Order: sequence, then structure tokens, then C-alpha cells
Amino acid sequence: MAWRFLLATLLGGVCYLDRTAACQLMLHRPLVVATLMGAIFGNMAAGAQVGVILELFYLARLPVGASIPPDDTGAAVFGGSAAAIASSSIGLDAGSFTAVLLLSVVIAEAGKAADRFVRKVNVRIARLTAESVDRGDVQAVEHGLLAGLTLFTVTGMALALVFSGAGVAMAKELLPRFGPASRSSFAILLPALPLLGAASAYSCSRTERTSAVFFLTMAAVFGGTVLFRWAA
Amino acid sequence: MTPSGLATRSRSAVWRRQFLLQGCWNYEGMQNVGFAYAILPALRDFYANRPEEALKAVKRHLEFFNTQPAMGALILGASVRLEERVAAGEADPRAIGTFKVGLMGSLGAIGDSFFWGALRPMASVAGALLAMLHPLLGIAALLLLYNGVHLTIRRRGYTAGMEGPEGAVGWLKQAALNVRTDDRKLLAAILAGAYAGIFAGRFFAQGADAPHVLASLLLAAAAVHLFAILFRKAVSPSEILSFLLFVGVLILWR
Repeated sequence: MAWRFLLATLLGGVCYLDRTAACQLMLHRPLVVATLMGAIFGNMAAGAQVGVILELFYLARLPVGASIPPDDTGAAVFGGSAAAIASSSIGLDAGSFTAVLLLSVVIAEAGKAADRFVRKVNVRIARLTAESVDRGDVQAVEHGLLAGLTLFTVTGMALALVFSGAGVAMAKELLPRFGPASRSSFAILLPALPLLGAASAYSCSRTERTSAVFFLTMAAVFGGTVLFRWAA
Repeated sequence: MTPSGLATRSRSAVWRRQFLLQGCWNYEGMQNVGFAYAILPALRDFYANRPEEALKAVKRHLEFFNTQPAMGALILGASVRLEERVAAGEADPRAIGTFKVGLMGSLGAIGDSFFWGALRPMASVAGALLAMLHPLLGIAALLLLYNGVHLTIRRRGYTAGMEGPEGAVGWLKQAALNVRTDDRKLLAAILAGAYAGIFAGRFFAQGADAPHVLASLLLAAAAVHLFAILFRKAVSPSEILSFLLFVGVLILWR
């Protein structure tokens, strides 16, 4: 298990780096991260299932100006690892799946707090950089940026380790405490979650002409899905 | 047109370094350290034997700066060009600050709307839909759809910026990002509708009779509409999820 956590920490660190500090190539998106974590902890498909739902939750929260959206990368680290471990122990039933998705909100908020802390520390780094440049040290800019990058990376790796650990602990310790009946009653909330994600994407893309298009497409695909189920 | 005084090596170094624009993002100067870091190779070239002027130039770029990271490439390219003119004594150094401040807000708004409000939702929903077929297919779709456009805009923006502020403004007009934003939003709405339709069909339409199926569709559409209204009223997804978690705990308690 130790090598799994090591890999989760390293890959999580890379994904966290992509989130703010470097590149923004979308390697930090929940679909990518949860699938990776699922693969690391033994079930890529289970991780991807969580990623598909988590991917859209926070789309409506844009990283504009100084506002920091909830940490959906951390939520995916937690969700992907928990789903993979749960699938190999108690089985990833609808109740466990719902619990993983809903508890990820706590992780997303914790990650957001950590992100805020890093940016506050970076204020100090930026001030020190400016002071060094004032004293004639031009290279301080490179050192300052390296310090900022290191802080983002180390924090990202620490978060990935803690959140994957929390996911594994939840799947191994918390979920088995509830019987199948309790878990199935929890699953009553599951249908709301993908619809919340769809609403988040819809809110982002909302214009006068897209509202009608969204609901017409929804109705058409819904009809197609129902017909397909009836035919099957 | 490559700035005559800038070596190809420095030009490439500035291009690579722009990917670290947010490497030291902070609440005071925001992307200031990242911008100064990115433009540093060009400043070293332009002020090779003038350390005092190089220092002043670096200080200029440690002023507050914040824009959408991908759109930063355009401002960075144009700033390199302006610095070249300043180093040659053809322009006032204050023009650089005015140019950056003038452009970062508007480009930030255009970039946020295009990248975060249209392109990312479109790529995300497409990825999520295809991941239902195979996880790797979904990831590939998400990364290719987003980065195909993202990296092209970064590269073209940087090249246009290198032609000077005039080139930057010309490219912005030609790129017509507002039209592209609308197109991507439409695509995102179609894909998000399909996503909602698939899940509503899976979870809600359990019965076989038509009235029950119709009621299921209306219920799902009403739920999406309600969530969208809550988002518009500044209720965050986290608050909705926390409420659902609370309801879940109550169900377990009972």
C-alpha cells in the first residue's frame, strides 16, 4: 500500500501544480485526477465514475481575480481513492457512491483553505523578492518564483497524501460500519448529484439562446435513453 | 516579425516561462513575480551592459499584475516589444505600465469568459460524457478539446504581441473571442443537456408508463432549473452539497 500512497502523492503534486502555479493544461480536473487515483488504488473505472460526477460540480465557480473556487482536485483525490478501495472491499454500491461524493465537499473546502494559506505565504515571498531587487539582486525574481513553485508543489503533495489517506480510511473504516440497508437509504440522494453538475455547466453557459437548447437536448436525450431501456 | 534585438533563445525562454505566470500567485501583486520572471530573459538581452536600467526594468514588472493566464501571453509578447523600444530610447518606460494596466483588466474579462465560462465547461462535459464509454476516452477528449484551443491562443497571442501593441490589438479583433465564446457556450449547453438527459433517464424513469416517464423528465428539469436559480442567487455548489450531506445524515440517523 505504501507505494500506492507514494505514487498518489507524486501524481497529486503534479496535478496540483497544474491547478494554479503551472501550465493550466487541465491535468487537475476531477475526471483526470479521480481516474488516476482509481487506477493507483486498484480500480480505474470506479475512480472514473466519481470523476464523471465531480467534474461538473464546481464549474460555476470561476477562478476570477482573487476568488478561489473549492478544491475539486482534492475532492477527486479523495473520491477516486475511496471509490477504488470501496469497490474492492464492500463494493461500490449506490449508497457508498453517494457518501463518497457528498463527503468530498468537506475535502474541497479544506483544500480551498490550504490554497488560501499558500497564497498568503506567497505575499511574503513576493515582498522579499521585491526587497532583494531593490538591493540590486535581479536574480531574486528567479529565486522568488522557484520558492513560490516549491510551496505550491509541496502543499499539493501533502494535500494529495492526506486526502488519499482520508479516502482510503473512509472506504476501509467508515463505510463498512453502515449496513447495506443504511447505505441504500443514503442512495436516495444520488439522482440529485449529476443534475447539480449539469446545472453548474448550464449556469456557466447560460445565455438567452442556450436555455431552450439545454432543455430541448435534455428532453431528447432523456427520451432516447428511456426508449433504449424499454427496447432492451 | 521578431524583435530585432531579441535572440531566438531569449524569445523561446520567455515563451516557456509564461507557463509559470502564476508560479508565485499572491494576494498583493498577484502575478507580478511570475510576469517579471517570464520577461527576464528579454530584459537581460535588451539591457546586456546596462545593469542599472535592467534593474529599473525588472522593478517595472514587479508592479501589480493580474489577468487570465492564457491571455497573459499576448500582454507578455507586447511588453517584450515595448521594452525593446524603451531600451532603444524610442519609447517612454511609463508606456509599458500604462499598456499593461490598460489591457490586463479587459483581457482578463475576455479570457475568463472564454476559457472558464465557455471552453472549460464544454471540454468538461464532453469529457464526462465520453468517460461513460471509457475513462481514457473521456480524459483524452477533455485534454484535447481544451488544450487544442488553449495552446493555439497562447501561441498566436504571444506571436501577435511580439509584433507590438498594434499587432496585439489587431489580433484581438481578428480572433473575435466574443463570437467564439458564444459558440462554445452553445456547445456546452447542448452537451450539458445531453448529460442531464442521460442521468435523468437512468435514475428517474423507472416505471414503464408514459405519464410516469413524463413526470420524471419534468421533475429532473425542475431540479436543474432550481439549482440554476440558486447559483444565480449566489448559493454555491458547496452549500447545496453540504445541505444534501446534512439530509443524508438525517436519513441515516432516522
